[in-house]
Amino acid sequence: MDFSIRAANVEDCKDIARMIVELAEYEKKTEHVKVTQRDLEQDGFSKNPFFHGIVAEVPEQLRTKDGHTKIGYALYFYSYSSWAGRAVYMEDLYVMPEFRGKGIGKALMSKVAQLGLAAGCNQLNFTVLDWNQSSRDFYLSQGCFDITTSIGYHCMRCEGEALQHLAQP
Amino acid sequence: MNFKIRPAIKEDCKEISRMIMELAVYENMPDQVKIAHGELERDGFCENPFFECLVAEVPEEHKSKEGFTVVGYALYFYTYSTWKGPSIFLEDLYVMPEFRGNGIGKGLLCKVAEVGKKKQCVRLQLSVLDWNTPSRDFYAAKGAQDLTVTEGWHAIRFDGQSLDNLANEAAKI
Repeated sequence: MDFSIRAANVEDCKDIARMIVELAEYEKKTEHVKVTQRDLEQDGFSKNPFFHGIVAEVPEQLRTKDGHTKIGYALYFYSYSSWAGRAVYMEDLYVMPEFRGKGIGKALMSKVAQLGLAAGCNQLNFTVLDWNQSSRDFYLSQGCFDITTSIGYHCMRCEGEALQHLAQP
Repeated sequence: MNFKIRPAIKEDCKEISRMIMELAVYENMPDQVKIAHGELERDGFCENPFFECLVAEVPEEHKSKEGFTVVGYALYFYTYSTWKGPSIFLEDLYVMPEFRGNGIGKGLLCKVAEVGKKKQCVRLQLSVLDWNTPSRDFYAAKGAQDLTVTEGWHAIRFDGQSLDNLANEAAKI
């Protein structure tokens, strides 16, 4: 299939916001999405952005029934390993269902890896849900490893009231 | 015990590097440490730093047996949740064994949370090893949830050859 991958710009935020909700629906977490198109514009395209994005686009003749040509995205940011140095974290990777199986997901992830290496990163990290077998199989087939299973890392989070309490001076 | 927590300066990188190694030894993975104070200086104190760091310091009269007064650190960076917005990831939290039990770890953690709050961060995230019960208990007591247990999240990584191979695929697009 004919597609292209390019850096996201601020005009893409409407489609990225749409696809963030689609991905949350797939992960059965729609009610958790609080970020809006406007938040993405402010947080991703200001002087010190919190994230970077890449989008996958198809030509007009392949657009979806709703008229979308932006049919996948990856959202990432730079992170740090105190053992390995510069790293890149891929927060989201998504391709609309009707465009899967065409190498678009792999192309997006490869682009993140390429950009990360160019920035001097030594790791690409992300998370996946244990029941999401198709995604896990996809990632493992690309040569990564599951450090929760193999080394025992657990992902921990503090938010809401617990975080407020911690943050009191 | 009298201690203070302050932002790290470039000159602290030798001490931070020392403590990174001590933490890796504690986690039974010292051979995984590939960077030293030079990388920390370059990556933490440039125009767009990859991380920020706080250190815990004790006065001279409480220095460690080897003579160190910088006895703990917290290394963190900003992340983004596409569901909730700006967040903080606590990469390392460490206090030298002889200084534990004095509230230094909690002090560092709270200070990171406070820094995050000022930047409107809505989450503080970290990872902990499953066998590390004292740390798991410490974080659970502060209200952290274990998302691997409750929601099934697994941490995945590409590095070394697998990362190179993946990046090489991008040239074919």
